[in-house]
Amino acid sequence: MIKVTRRALTATLLLGSTVLAPMLAPGAAAAQAREVNVLLFSMPSTRGLAALADDFEAETGIKANIDVVGQDVFESRITLSFTGGARDIDVVHTPVIQVQRWVEAGWLEPMTAQIDGLDDKDDILTGPLEAYKVSGDYYGMPFFAETGLMAYRKDLLDAAGVGVPETWDEMLEVANAVDSDDTAAIAMRVAPGQGFNMFVFPMIMRAYGGKFFANYPDDMTPAINSPENLQALNTYITLMNDYGPQGIGNFNFPEVVAALQNGQAAMTVDGTSIVSQAVDPAASKFADQFVLALPPGGPAGRSPAIAVHGLGIPAGTENADAAFEFVKWATSTETLSKLAINEAYPDFTRASVAENPEVQAKYAGVQENFLDLRVEALNLALGHYRPLIPTWPEIGAAIGENVNAAVNGLMSPEEALEAAEDEMKSILAY
Amino acid sequence: MTPPRASAAMDRTYRRMLWPASLAVGIFAIAPLLGMLALSFTDFHLVRGWSGKIGIHNFLRLFEDRRFVSSIYIMMALSAFGVLAQVVLGTAIAVGLDKIVGKWRVARGIFVVPFAVPHVAVALIWLSLFTPTLSPINAVFAVFGIEVPALLTTQTGAITAIVIADTWATYPFVMLIVLAALQGISPDLDEAAALDGATRVKAFFRITLPLLYPTLLMVALFRFIETLKHFPLIFVMTSGGPGRATQATNYYAYVQTFQNSNVAYGASIAVFLFLFAAAISFYIAKANARLSDA
Amino acid sequence: MRDTSTAFRVKKALGYAMMLAFLGFSLLPVVWVLLLSLRPATALFEPIWESPTAWTLDNIRSIARSDFPAALLNSFITAGSSTLLALLVGVPGAFALSKRRASNKFFASWLLLLLRMAPPVGFVIPLFLVYVRAGLIDTYAGLIFAYTSLTLPFVVWSMWTSFNQIPDELVEAGLMDGASLGRVLWRIVIPAARPGLVAAGVLSFLLAWNDFFFSLIITRSDTTTAPVAVMNFVSYASVDWGAIAVASIALTLPVVPIIVLANKYIVQSLGGAVKG
Repeated sequence: MIKVTRRALTATLLLGSTVLAPMLAPGAAAAQAREVNVLLFSMPSTRGLAALADDFEAETGIKANIDVVGQDVFESRITLSFTGGARDIDVVHTPVIQVQRWVEAGWLEPMTAQIDGLDDKDDILTGPLEAYKVSGDYYGMPFFAETGLMAYRKDLLDAAGVGVPETWDEMLEVANAVDSDDTAAIAMRVAPGQGFNMFVFPMIMRAYGGKFFANYPDDMTPAINSPENLQALNTYITLMNDYGPQGIGNFNFPEVVAALQNGQAAMTVDGTSIVSQAVDPAASKFADQFVLALPPGGPAGRSPAIAVHGLGIPAGTENADAAFEFVKWATSTETLSKLAINEAYPDFTRASVAENPEVQAKYAGVQENFLDLRVEALNLALGHYRPLIPTWPEIGAAIGENVNAAVNGLMSPEEALEAAEDEMKSILAY
Repeated sequence: MTPPRASAAMDRTYRRMLWPASLAVGIFAIAPLLGMLALSFTDFHLVRGWSGKIGIHNFLRLFEDRRFVSSIYIMMALSAFGVLAQVVLGTAIAVGLDKIVGKWRVARGIFVVPFAVPHVAVALIWLSLFTPTLSPINAVFAVFGIEVPALLTTQTGAITAIVIADTWATYPFVMLIVLAALQGISPDLDEAAALDGATRVKAFFRITLPLLYPTLLMVALFRFIETLKHFPLIFVMTSGGPGRATQATNYYAYVQTFQNSNVAYGASIAVFLFLFAAAISFYIAKANARLSDA
Repeated sequence: MRDTSTAFRVKKALGYAMMLAFLGFSLLPVVWVLLLSLRPATALFEPIWESPTAWTLDNIRSIARSDFPAALLNSFITAGSSTLLALLVGVPGAFALSKRRASNKFFASWLLLLLRMAPPVGFVIPLFLVYVRAGLIDTYAGLIFAYTSLTLPFVVWSMWTSFNQIPDELVEAGLMDGASLGRVLWRIVIPAARPGLVAAGVLSFLLAWNDFFFSLIITRSDTTTAPVAVMNFVSYASVDWGAIAVASIALTLPVVPIIVLANKYIVQSLGGAVKG
């Protein structure tokens, strides 16, 4: 009797789950005509897009199944989906950093014809759009173009009797004056990674005239071990160690944001998504005291960071037309304007959005010239701020790890740059 | 000893019951493992694909790879200290619950709580505890004018921090198993020891603890295998830093597979880790078997 | 007792102090997380004494409205089913391994352990391929199978040790009374090994509950489990600490009553434990 019961139980369980399985499995959504599966990773713009999914359906009759996941979850899922040939995703969040790699692997569909066919193509900001051009074809449309700005506490700078630093050398002096026991002068990302410290460090690097390659894209000889880069690295190390909050050697964007919002740091130079959290009254105690400005420059001028995000279409998808409808809608003036109004100051990619009076009023509410600053920074930004090559993730990580080691005193700056260049060479040679 | 005839019938019954699940698990676990093994002999790259090459080139590269070699040292540090801390703490708490606290059942429930927290959340929570600007520990000590050092910015500090977070999250595992084992050990033994004139502490170390050795070894083995696969704690708390100081072997395999797109090389690292774990666990399990049969 | 009363009391006091210290260590992060969950975004990391009145239920509200509760339910269903499956199949298996005279017992157990040794990153791509071909992506069955590769070896391994503690004479006695082996297992051995059984069940459940990797690979929006859902609060430029805090608490709350209930069985069996 016991055996029967046990067997029955096991059988029921197994049977039960097998019965449940087909009911719960997604009904092969990709096969149906008027549906698109969209995979995005979480940021204000994408969350906003997910919230507007019904609008898309109302306008086009196509149902959008939008999945917004954490960035790390996203990367694993999309890599598996591509390599495994799962073909379950029709529209994919395509950061510019990845587009070269994905195109070389043959994972994206070109959309040149559709984009050229758009009547308002000129409205799209050139820099971000061109970033999606690989070997003459467009592989994505941008919806977000983050740039780099500086945020500083006007009250603390005034109290210390210093002006806004225009160059990184001036920043060293200003930091010295402003730094106190209660509030460190400056907080920036230091954690190793191409999207972590290597998102902000090139701003310093390039201001001093430093480069990654001898003459991108023609001469791709690694040139990271140079006097200019050494100077930049030394400035970075001094700023972080002498004028940064305790524990800065491991700071990533959450820690930088928290430090700004809590008054533990007076300045930062980082992406617009980060600095806008410093001036956001809903989260920052010092929102009113923070002022935004262009990042400091150097002998070679200013080089604000840039990070473009867009939407691409995976190769081999069965719903290419519907997919492009979604891409077009998501990057349209209307949608981007809605996002600009609903979400927390996203970095839109169409000029017409900036003309929208509601948008203007909202951004001016933070700071009069917020929108202008943004445009100016974007125009100054180099498209290849971080080189647009398929091996960038590897190279960026290698350089980032060495830079972080230098900041934390595990290596000297000279050793770090030497090691970085050696690793660049071996990665490119492989 | 059990009568042979019943034993055979029992065998058949149990094997019959074990087979379906083992088969399913086997397919879903063994097939991927074989796939991993196969991959390690190729040069499959996410972007460049497979050139058709088959050979042991990945394994040869492993031994010349400085990053790989340091990753092994880092992994051993994390595993050795981690397992030690978890076993000692888990046993201490189990013994404490069994002998000292005893009647308070709710205490057991409270001590198990850390194990239910997924490692991702554990990592985030301890990251905030170890970051001076975020941590309440630093805030409290600051009131007394003491500056708590930032652990995550030095190599030893970062490893210590990960060990602490890992221990916090996993000691309940050890605790529950030891607790169950303790309750299988008759309390008469303690009384007998007391009658012979031993103090309770001595009784514990001379009698109870040796009886626990098989259990402790088994638990240590299990935890050791788990620590070899450390990932969320490193990924979230240190990003492998400072520099590369906390890039343990499994983390390095992830870097090679997903960041550098070199899936075949990542697979070879995984294969190495697998064999390494197999070898060590073989020895520990053998020791365990010898102790059990003793 | 040979201990003098003062020495004994000192030792007992030390013992309690030690337990209190451990309790502090265990609870410190829990209390911290509780605090975080109730603080508004502007005062998250501030010491309480600086803003003692800043409390909010917003974090809890936003979690309740999100997909997280569904993910929590998924975790329950899959971890629970997998544990039941592992117990149903693993306990008899462990019994056989423990009591049967065979020379390959050692290898059987070691083989079970082998399944857990491979680092996930190595077989993630082949695993994904197997699951895609089998149509098990984003299904409960797929996840339960994957979890069983975690829970089954553990149950067998752990119950094997438990059963080893049960003397063979007990089994013999039951058999002599005319019971079948199944009955002996069910009526005599299992009750005797109840603490081990409860521990194995609870721990298996927690192992599956805690899993991140399999869920990451196998699930999509329909069957996402809680650990993956927590990762979704770490977004491109911000970390929703409040949400993570609430999610962590929501994840551990169900565990405490499970343990407390399980305790009853552990304590009960103290009376029925096999004595000498």
